[in-house]
Amino acid sequence: MSTIASGLLLIGLFLYVFWPDPNAEAQRNKTRLEYLRERRDNLYDNLRDLNFEYRAGKYPEEDYAAQRAALENEAAETVAEIDLLETQTLAAPLSAAHHSTL
Amino acid sequence: MPAFGSFSLLVALVLSAYSLLAGAVALRMLATGNRVAVSPERLAETARRAGIGSFVAATCAAFALVWAAFTNDFSVAYIAEHSNRALDIKYKFAALWSGQEGSLLLWAWLLTAYGFVLRVRHKVDVTLTAYASTILAGIQVFFFLLINFPATPFSLVQGPVPPDGNGLNPLLQYAEMVIHPPMLYLGYVGFSVPFAFALGALMMRYPGEKWIHITRRWTMVTWLFLTVGIFLGMHWAYNVLGWGGYWGWDPVENASLMPWLTGTAFLHSVMMQEKRGMMKSWNVWLIFSTFLLAILGTLLTRSGLVSSVHAFAQSPIGTWFWVFFVIVLAICIFTYILNRDHLKSEHHLESLVSRESSFLFNNLVLLVACLTILWGTFYPVLSEFFQGQKATLVGAYYNVIAVPIGVFLLFLTGIGPLLAWRSTSMRSIRKNFVTPSIAALVVAIGVIPFGVHPWTIVTAGEQGSFYAWITFTLAAFVVTAIFAEFFRGARVIQGHTGRSLLGSVVQLTRRNTRRYGGYLVHFGVVLIFIGISGQAFNQSKEMTMSFRQSMTIGPYRIQCMDFSQDSNANYDTEFALLDVYRNGHKVTRLAPELRLYAASQQPLTVVANHSTPAWDLYVIYAGKDAATGQPVIKAFLNPLVMWIWIGVLITILGTGIALIPNLSAALAAQRSRVTAAIPEEVVTAGKAGD
Repeated sequence: MSTIASGLLLIGLFLYVFWPDPNAEAQRNKTRLEYLRERRDNLYDNLRDLNFEYRAGKYPEEDYAAQRAALENEAAETVAEIDLLETQTLAAPLSAAHHSTL
Repeated sequence: MPAFGSFSLLVALVLSAYSLLAGAVALRMLATGNRVAVSPERLAETARRAGIGSFVAATCAAFALVWAAFTNDFSVAYIAEHSNRALDIKYKFAALWSGQEGSLLLWAWLLTAYGFVLRVRHKVDVTLTAYASTILAGIQVFFFLLINFPATPFSLVQGPVPPDGNGLNPLLQYAEMVIHPPMLYLGYVGFSVPFAFALGALMMRYPGEKWIHITRRWTMVTWLFLTVGIFLGMHWAYNVLGWGGYWGWDPVENASLMPWLTGTAFLHSVMMQEKRGMMKSWNVWLIFSTFLLAILGTLLTRSGLVSSVHAFAQSPIGTWFWVFFVIVLAICIFTYILNRDHLKSEHHLESLVSRESSFLFNNLVLLVACLTILWGTFYPVLSEFFQGQKATLVGAYYNVIAVPIGVFLLFLTGIGPLLAWRSTSMRSIRKNFVTPSIAALVVAIGVIPFGVHPWTIVTAGEQGSFYAWITFTLAAFVVTAIFAEFFRGARVIQGHTGRSLLGSVVQLTRRNTRRYGGYLVHFGVVLIFIGISGQAFNQSKEMTMSFRQSMTIGPYRIQCMDFSQDSNANYDTEFALLDVYRNGHKVTRLAPELRLYAASQQPLTVVANHSTPAWDLYVIYAGKDAATGQPVIKAFLNPLVMWIWIGVLITILGTGIALIPNLSAALAAQRSRVTAAIPEEVVTAGKAGD
């Protein structure tokens, strides 16, 4: 009984591990653009939290204004870099297509 | 079945080793761009599957051991040592973790189970998960090596098979004991996952903080298991060990508390990294330390290095653990040195009065607590090494440091959420601190008539009442601050939606489950502190009681109505029947017992406890008076203990809420699912129709 169970376990696991899978997931490294988008979302979350806490009466006006300005500056810088990288990403295939047509 | 169990363990070891090697080679190929006959994606996929396969093999091994316990297969030495025929069926299941080899098998099985979930969910981030899976496979190899060679649970008895086993340790024959060790192990083992993600993220220089988002839920679940495990242990100690307390600063208790402290620090400080990109190195080291402390705790329990009521006997596997500990530490240090430039903070601390600084202080305090406990736990080993004489630090050492630290933590729990990120102005402090301070003042004065006299620290040199007074005062501050947070937020929701206040509180919580779940956890922690501070007013009394004789403790009168003995196949028992009166009215009948287990010849105290929110009347049968044959009854009056268990339940509830996705995130996910499900032409047509 033990021998049969052991044999079945071994064969089953061997087949499972080495059975060819044509759709093996691509191991791709994260790009800076993806990182910046995550960062932008995070900054927007922080801004939303700050606005909510301000409306709840937790912070005085001047504290709120200072914190909001700092977060907005940071978000603006991130969005600007995203725009730049997106433009470059779009431009690269267009440029390649242009060269191949020529 | 033992042969099948042994074979399954061997298969699990081979699969784990393959998962480690193939995973490492595939990741190296991806990093360097070198290709061989097999594509790295394909190789990594087989490594992932081998990891999943190791879970199947480990499950077969665990099943084989439990099966051996259920079928009374005493040819297996482990079963003969830890089970017997008369053992209740639920405790036969517990035999899996009642001894060294079985509990290591449980460790390994849980590790592969966590690995199974991680590997099945690999699409969340394929490369990062491949790193984490490979690191986890390395940890698996260590544990499967242990249970395949020096500590195999399937070794057979030498000579003739005994007709019956030695039975389970009586201390473990208690319902909670069936779940306490698995909970603790789930906590210990679970920290392997955030550790693997953190180390993997550092190795691959993962950009951004998404790995924290991925591991956040893992860390919270693990922390919850460890919390539940620790408090189940406390509840068990309180109800089974019969000394009237729930925490004895035993080395094994300490071993579970240390990773809990660093894990708690990590859960807090990680928010600074998510919100502001700060404390990256600190966080990485916190999670490394948490995992290393879990290993150190297991080493303490397993090696017989320190004496403890929980510890297993002296065993050679201590050396294995030391080697593993040193290897892991070396890998952590090496990886950190190699990639430390990747962990530069994006911001710096701008003000000492800010949310960041409160997290920083919280972390420092938790770390000081952890180091204090580490020093106390290892003191016997160090004193023996340096002075040639084993000296143990008693509870007083820990209390002198732990109590002020606990009080300071409670203070930080109160002020942290009231402070703003970056910096907090004086006006903001005045605005947020007034109401909680008034509540604290009212309680500080209000508890004095109830016997909480802080001045006894000066007049009588008693610290208990002083610390209890501070705890009650701070508890009022924290609870008011928490309720104010809920109230303020709910009012905003109410203003927008017109819902009731309660409905708005629910909506508010669903909007940011992590924050408001976290506040509930804080509330639970406050209740736990209140419960613990009741210790300052404990009373006890011991008396040999004859028939109808009474003793008085606090507001209760206890009258002995009967004492007798009984026996069954598993144990003999002596017990007393005690009627409890308050203000002349009978409130309950208690029946404390003293059992003697047949197989192991070990005694066990069965505590009788009448628990109310104000205090526990905790009674034990301490034995028979040799001269008169009458029962010796020991009664304790322990104030506020019930609040500890209520606080734990609220902590569990709060953590559970924090684990639920936010309403906005859930709606966004739902929207994207709906959009994905709708054919493109329908979406286009809909847009055109708009």
